[in-house]
Amino acid sequence: MSAIHPKITDVLTNTFKVPAAEILPGSTMDSLEMDSLAVAEFAVIIKETLGVEADSDKLYKDATLADITTFIDAAVSGDPAMSNAR
Amino acid sequence: MNRPAVAVTGLGMITPVGNDTDTTWDGVCAGVSPARTVPELEGCAIDFACTVSGIDLDEAVGGRAAFRMGRYVKFAVLAAREAVADAGLDPADWDGTRVAVVVGTSSGGSAGLTEQAVALDRRGPGATSPAGILLTIPNMPAAEIAIRMGATGPSLAPCTACSSGVTALSVARDLLVTGQCDLAIAGATESIVFPVAMTGFARSGAAATRDGDLARLCRPFAADRAGLVMGEGAAVMVLERADDARARAAVPRALLAGTGATTDAHHPTSPHPSGAVARAAVEAALRDADWGAEDVEHVNAHGTSTPLGDATEAALISRAYPHRPPVTAPKGVLGHCMGAAGAIEAGLTILTLQRGVVPPIANLEAPAPEFDIDCVTEQPRHRPVRRAVSHSFGFGGHNAVVALQRP
Repeated sequence: MSAIHPKITDVLTNTFKVPAAEILPGSTMDSLEMDSLAVAEFAVIIKETLGVEADSDKLYKDATLADITTFIDAAVSGDPAMSNAR
Repeated sequence: MNRPAVAVTGLGMITPVGNDTDTTWDGVCAGVSPARTVPELEGCAIDFACTVSGIDLDEAVGGRAAFRMGRYVKFAVLAAREAVADAGLDPADWDGTRVAVVVGTSSGGSAGLTEQAVALDRRGPGATSPAGILLTIPNMPAAEIAIRMGATGPSLAPCTACSSGVTALSVARDLLVTGQCDLAIAGATESIVFPVAMTGFARSGAAATRDGDLARLCRPFAADRAGLVMGEGAAVMVLERADDARARAAVPRALLAGTGATTDAHHPTSPHPSGAVARAAVEAALRDADWGAEDVEHVNAHGTSTPLGDATEAALISRAYPHRPPVTAPKGVLGHCMGAAGAIEAGLTILTLQRGVVPPIANLEAPAPEFDIDCVTEQPRHRPVRRAVSHSFGFGGHNAVVALQRP
């Protein structure tokens, strides 16, 4: 199982009050009961804190937390292969 | 007028001295203000206030929705939850189509709007919150309560500045007596302890400036009163027709006997010097309740500690109630909770009726010599009170008075 980016855990726990036990690599925003407005807010916080921009609907809505972690890690490290992920 | 009696069957509060009704009551009776320096106001001309503390609001509100709620919304949600539980009601069981929500505010989410404006200016549109509008608009306390409680009847947010709470109770009463709902969740909320609003109050000249012990700065009706101290909070009540309350064996805390409202139409911040229009609101409330002035056994005053406001109100009280009923002014402890003040003070008035205790006015040994009113000072005064009024006077010249009585 891959790890979850610590910022994801931080935002879900502190901003959205998602119980830590529910924050698993295979969780999706849907499974965490994050509605579209919450996902959009999540995307803004990730952009503002990590500088990683992503379309909240396309990337975050259906992706697992492991997928989002992979995307964020690649974007932060400047991997050009991920530049089309938006 | 022949119309059904309306009962208050539930009460919830969150204030600078307590995060529920009982703690608030104890704090108000103790007569000590929690005014303190607020770190977020560093550098402001007025960098202190009475604030809600000792609670993680997001945790208390719970769920995934706290991020989209301004502080003023969270206060209202928490007070409504307490009020509904206090009324012995469970939203899972009620017919939501018959439940109204009337929760006022004066400034709504002006704090949230300011934060979004700063984000937009400094970092561009991508840095603003998709929930930015929800953090701003004044109807969201009513809307979020309705969402959480499945209340699909009428809902709205009355705004009459510092009298919004009393206006909300009045509107809710009207919805009940006209049969538009069977239950009304009504009250008001406010949170504007942030730099832009505090700077505005400082520049308006209405606010007390730092001078010695902050806890002693708000002194309603004192000769040396020096302006208002900002507060924040919410109070929410459950109102229903008294017959309906009886039918479900609910014990009312009080009856909402009458309300009266007038508008100075004079000046945005200065009360009409004669006090005649504010007095007309008192008379309207007494008429509505079918009381004589002498029936009023206690006055919960607006008492903001401003030189002109208190002078006008003291003159009004001595003329309107010549039998000198005991007067209290909770803002000495709580500060001025703005839009929420009228709801909080109506709630405290109800507790006075229930407990036979009039809280003291904080920081007052005796009223200014020219005020011929019976201020309760130093200690709570124990005496049975059957009928009482609460005054609210708002920026803009809104006057609202509510008459409350023991069931």
